[in-house]
Order: sequence, then C-alpha cells, then structure tokens
Amino acid sequence: KPECCCLSASTGNMDGEEFTMLDALNKVTACYRHLVIALGSTSDSQNLREELKKTRNKAQELAVANRTKLTALLKDKNISKDDRAEYERLWVLFTSSVELLEVDMKRSLEIGQDFPLKVPTRHLIQTGMTGSTTTVAARAMSVQNMKYEADANIDTVDLKELETEIAQVDQMMEEMEMKVQVAPWAVEAKQEAGAELKSTVSVGNSSVGVISICEEEPKETVEGETGLMKVFAGIIFTGVLLIAGILGYLVVNL
Amino acid sequence: MQDPKTGVKSQTQRLVITTIPHAITGEDIVAWIANRFKIDATEARAMGTMMVAFGYIYPLQDHKRLMLKPDTSLYRFQTPYFWPAQQWPVEDTDYAIYLAKRNIRKKGMLELYEQEQYNNLYKWMNHKWDFIVMQAKEQYRAGKERKKPDRVVFDCQERAYWVVHRPPPGTVSAMDYGHDRMVDPNMEEVKVCKKTPDYYRRIIMFTQQCIMRPRVKSSVSIGALVKYTITYKEHDPFLHACLPSNPWLTDDVTYWTLNMPNVEIPTKMRVERWTFSFGELLMDPRGRADFRLFLKKEFSGENLAFWEACEDLKWGAAETMKEKAQQIYKTFLARGAPRWINIDGKTMDITVKGLAHPHRYVLDAAQTHIYMLMKKDSFGRYLKSPVFKETQKKAILCRFTAPVPHLAVYTGICEAQSTASPGFMTLPNSAACPSPISVAIDSTPASERRFDGNGGPSSSHFPSIAEASVSEEENQPPAPKSRMALSLSRLLRRGCNAPSVFASLSPKCAVASGGGKVQPLGVEPLAQPQPRRIANFFQIKVDIPPECRIYPIDSEDEEDDSPDTARGGVKEIICPWETVTKQEGTG
Repeated sequence: KPECCCLSASTGNMDGEEFTMLDALNKVTACYRHLVIALGSTSDSQNLREELKKTRNKAQELAVANRTKLTALLKDKNISKDDRAEYERLWVLFTSSVELLEVDMKRSLEIGQDFPLKVPTRHLIQTGMTGSTTTVAARAMSVQNMKYEADANIDTVDLKELETEIAQVDQMMEEMEMKVQVAPWAVEAKQEAGAELKSTVSVGNSSVGVISICEEEPKETVEGETGLMKVFAGIIFTGVLLIAGILGYLVVNL
Repeated sequence: MQDPKTGVKSQTQRLVITTIPHAITGEDIVAWIANRFKIDATEARAMGTMMVAFGYIYPLQDHKRLMLKPDTSLYRFQTPYFWPAQQWPVEDTDYAIYLAKRNIRKKGMLELYEQEQYNNLYKWMNHKWDFIVMQAKEQYRAGKERKKPDRVVFDCQERAYWVVHRPPPGTVSAMDYGHDRMVDPNMEEVKVCKKTPDYYRRIIMFTQQCIMRPRVKSSVSIGALVKYTITYKEHDPFLHACLPSNPWLTDDVTYWTLNMPNVEIPTKMRVERWTFSFGELLMDPRGRADFRLFLKKEFSGENLAFWEACEDLKWGAAETMKEKAQQIYKTFLARGAPRWINIDGKTMDITVKGLAHPHRYVLDAAQTHIYMLMKKDSFGRYLKSPVFKETQKKAILCRFTAPVPHLAVYTGICEAQSTASPGFMTLPNSAACPSPISVAIDSTPASERRFDGNGGPSSSHFPSIAEASVSEEENQPPAPKSRMALSLSRLLRRGCNAPSVFASLSPKCAVASGGGKVQPLGVEPLAQPQPRRIANFFQIKVDIPPECRIYPIDSEDEEDDSPDTARGGVKEIICPWETVTKQEGTG
C-alpha cells in the first residue's frame, strides 16, 4: 500500500520488513478500536460482530508473526548497539500495540455480553451512528469488500471464542515479558512532538474540508464545502456569460 | 429512555450539510425524567446533569460544560465503549493518541490546556511516542473510512469522553471521587488469603492482645465522663461564658492578661481549677508556684524540685540528658544528697540501675512515686493551708467588663466565690448558656441603659452577692482596665439584674417573643417581677434567633432591625443542655 511505503520512508527505518509488519498490526489495531467503539450502538449488527471477529483474528496472526520475528532478532547476541536500540524500539511499538489490542478485546467482550443481538428486541444505544463499519473492516483486512459468511448466532458463539483468545493473548504477553528483557522506558522515540502533523499532509487528499464537529465549527465545513460550490457556481456563471456573449454576437450579426 | 414510544423524543441534528439522528433536547430529557420518576423539575434537572457529568449523555453545543440545560440545546447518548459504568481505567496512552489525532485534525492548533497536556505526555511517555503517533495516524485514517455523519458522531463521542475524564481547567469533574483505598475494608480477608500458619499466628496474637487489654465497665466510664463534665463545665470557654469576656468576640484582652502564666494574682476560676486535681495544680505555672511556696514553708520542697527536674529531663534536649541525669542523681538520689528524696528501696534500685545507661525515661518510676506521694499527702494539706486560703482570698473576682460601646455584648456580673454560697455561684453560671446568654447579653446593654432605676428592688434580693461583690470590689484596686465609664453601682445592679434575667431567659427564648412562657428557675422566685418588666422591652428587642446573636458585631444592626423582626416569626430555641443546667440551678 502506498501509505505504508511513504510512512516507512519518512521514519527512516532501515528494517522495512519488520516495520511493514508492525505497521500492519498497528493498522489492524486501530481499525479494531474503531469497530469496538461502534459496539452496542445503533451501528451494531451481526456484520459488525463478524467484522470484529475477523479483524481480531488477523490481528492475532500478525501479533504472533511479529513476536516470533522480533524475539528472534532480540535474542541474537551479535547485533550492534544501534541495531539493538532499534529493535528495542520496535519491540516497544509491538508491545504497546498488543496491549491496546488486548484491552479492546476485553472491552468488546464485556460490551458484547451486555448487548446481545439474538433477542426479540435489541436494546442498542441510539448514538447517532447509523452507518456500517464495512469500510473500516475492509481496511483492516486489506481487502476491497468484506464478505460476510457467518451464522446468525455469531454474537454468542463469538463471545466464547473471544474469551479463549483473550486468555491466549494474555499468556503470550506474559511469555514475552519473560523471554525478552527489554526496558521499555529506556527507549527513545524517534518522532518528535507534533510529528503526526507531517505525514498526514501527503495523505490528506480526502481531507479537503475539515470535518466540522457539531455546530460550533461550522465555518470549516462551510469553507470547504462552499469552496467547491463556489467553483461550480463560478464555472456555471462564466458558462452562462459565454453563451450570452455568443448569442448577443449572433444577434448583432444577424 | 430510548423507547420510540415512551422514551425521550428523538430529533435530528442538522449540521450544515449533514443531518444526524438521535439528538435529544434538554427540556425533553428533564420532562422525561420528571415524568418517569415522579419527581419535580429541579430534581430531574439535577439528575440529568449528573448523567451528563458522568458522560452517559453529552451535549452537542457548548461541549465543555457538562450540565443539562432545560432548553432546546441538544444532547446525545454516548456509546457503551465510552461509558464510565464498566470502570475501565482511563489510560494516558489513549489520551495521548486522542490528542495526537486532535492535533492532526486541528492542524496543530490545540487548546492551551490540551497543548500543555500534550507536552507533558510527550515528555513522560516518550518511550511510547512512536507508537502513539503511528496509532493516531492509523486511527485517523480508519475514521475517514466511515461516512460523514458517522465520522462527526465519532469525533463528538470521543471528545465528550475526554471532556469527562480529562476536564478542562476550571471545570469540576464528576470523576473526582477522592482517594482510592488499596484494600477494601469491607471485603473479607478470609476469602482472599490462604489459611497459612502465618495467618493463624497473626489471629492468635491479635486475640491474645484483646484479652490482655484492660476493660472498663461502661457504667464506670460513663460515670467518670459525667463527673468530669460536671466538674469542668464552668471552666470550658465553649460551654460557659468566658469571664470577663471572650477576647475573640469582644476584642477585649483582659481575659488573657488576667490569666497569664505567671500572673501575680490569679483569677478565682483559676484557683478553683487547682482544687480539681493535683495534676491541674501542677500544670498551671501559677499553681505550681503557689504549691512550691507552701512546700517551702513546710520544708518539703525537694519533692517538687525532684519532680520538676524529672520533667526537665523528659522534655529536654538529648545532648544534655546525661549530665542532667547525673545532676539529679547527685542532688536528690545519692546517699547523703543535699536534697534527698524519700523513695522506697525497690524504686531506688531500679533507678540507680537505670542511671548506668541513662535515657529520657530513666527516672520515670521515681518520678511517679514522688508524684503519688505529693498527691496523697501534700496536696490535701495544701488545700487546707493558709497559703492557699490567702491566694484564694486574694484571687481576682472576674466580672464581665462593660463592653466597648460599639460592641455591645456582655453585661452582668459573674462571681466565682468558691467559698460563698454555691447556689448563687452556679446560678449565674448555669444561666450563662450560650444561646440564651447571647440573647440576653445582646439585649442587656440596652436594658442596662434604660433600667438604671430598676436595679434598686433587685439589689435587695441579693444582698449577699452585692455586698460580697462590693467588698471584693473595694479590695480589688487592679480592676480590669477595660471597664468602661459605667459606674460601679450601676454595674452591680445590672449584674444583679442580669442573673435574674438570665435565669428567666435560660429556659426558652420565647420570653422575648411573647412574654408568654417565663420560666424562672426555682431558686429565684423573686426574680419574676423583673423579667416581666424587662420582658416588654425584650419583646421589642430580642426577637431574633440566638444563632445570629453569636456575633456581637452585628448587634448594632440587630438593634435597629429588631423592631421589624419582632413582627416576624419567632423560633423557640431549646438548648439540649439546658435541662441539665436548670436542674443544676435548682438542685
């Protein structure tokens, strides 16, 4: 994906492969969080539960893959100091991602239990979110369109699986703590404060017209949206002028 | 609340381009809550505000102020992920990610407090910062995958969540609930810990110590408490009027000057206090001096000297301890010492042994012995001695000082002649309950000024007091300085008035209001004509609940206002201890 490449380029990381994997994990974790936030609200549905499940599984796969890679790298005693520092940094990235994932998994379990779907009347909170989360899930799974093939009782079945998976992730994290001796606080960040502002500029083609948050900031949307409208209006106006000019010329000449 | 039929009416929020459903107005929420729980509108509003403050509902306009406005301002329900109900810990990592996202959206223009938080987090979460940045970007992009209305809702939700959990400065957070305890005291330990031998050992130790603890029957301890309160009641500045007047209230420091630690002539109250117990006598420097004088006359001053030396050792500096101990030994304990004290052999043994390695409390046993000796023997003799009687006689009679004119607080006499009739003594004191006295006192200045002539008849009722006070007066050249321009006789007469006034007023303050329930104390039936005459005056004046009389500075205003307030409602105030004092007075 083009975004991945430009990211790795901007961070100047030498080990592109690890970073891509971590980046993928990061992406999936972010999408998973979005999906979990939608749980229990009016955009909840069977599909959402399935999306959660798939995203989760993918995240776990990535986590395991990352872990094996990174532990292998860190256990290697013959690496240079710089390399080691770098791997430690990646390790911290990895553990933070997995922590976030685990927290979200636990939360999704609780909310999932509180808001069952297979009941005569669903009691979902009317949060104002009504759209589906397909696109987010698609982004997480790196596919164009999501396919939904799960049964109708996915919400209950999935919860049990979720419990076991949470236990697995817990265990994995414990093992990680034991095997790899990395002091997370010793890692120094490469990004400085405000670094997030930089690379979004290149990505922000779709962010023309900043989202307005409620009515307090109507100006930004207005500007954004009416900017386009102004352009259109201008075009139409000039078009009309041209036609009027041509007609007038013809009338004069006739 | 969300039921389409019986819930809060749901509306759509219209932004410039998008419309987002599921918005509710404040007034609808209030109405629904009031209806559902059958409570009135203000309570419903309060309840709604709590919901908003905790983050279950968030405002769409004015998002920083988490309160429910009962008008058309819009609110929305928060998604379960952001509810506080599950009590998920609020992570700083999440907050950092949120701030980073906000930074992206606002293109670097964060609010001031957010910027500060951001910098702080950057500093101390530095090791995770790469992760935070990455995650923020990814979440931002993932958010953009959703449709526009959902994006707006999502941003609103998240922002509302963080307003609740990281409140902007100057706002009150509902999440402030005080300290967390590490251990829940209500949780039973047994369930948690395993029953190891160690656990049982602890239980055994605890129960053994419980058995060994000295126990006192509650009847005994309560009796002791009652006795203590009865004895010290009149000396307590909170329960009784401070004589001559409370410096904190009247700005008159006579009380402090009279009661200086080493004053030449103590006050009568102080002397009375010495008679309560030996400890009191010793604790008061003036008392101790008096006792020392007595012992000197009896040629047994070494006991007190030894006791004082021991105190000095206990409370003194650590460096001089050794020398002091040696000095004491040489002076008091050694054989043939100049001031040898008489303690029994066993104690002497212990002390001498202890002096080999002196510490602060090495002389404790001997000191206690001597203390007991003095208490059992010398103290009794002291109280009967001419020294003490002389001091008692000379003791200053405390009187209420006439107050500074603009602060009309106290008038009236008090005398604490311990040798005189105790009935009279307790009477004015018992009448000096805080609330009635404040009522009475505040009014007596005016009554003072107007009832000059009335002093006559009453003074005949209290010849003993008047005479005694007069005689005391004449013996007392160093009268309190702040006695104002009122003449002596007037003061005495008023003083005689005052006790009767107090007596009659002490039961209820309704005397002032309607002149109805005058309940004079049994000891003074003669006082009745007085209150009636004065009651009229009081009817005008003292028609204010005593609570507001505590601050005499306001008495000026109240004197002006009281004619008006007389028409207002009057409360009957009954002091809970008044029944006790009434019995005390009558008994």
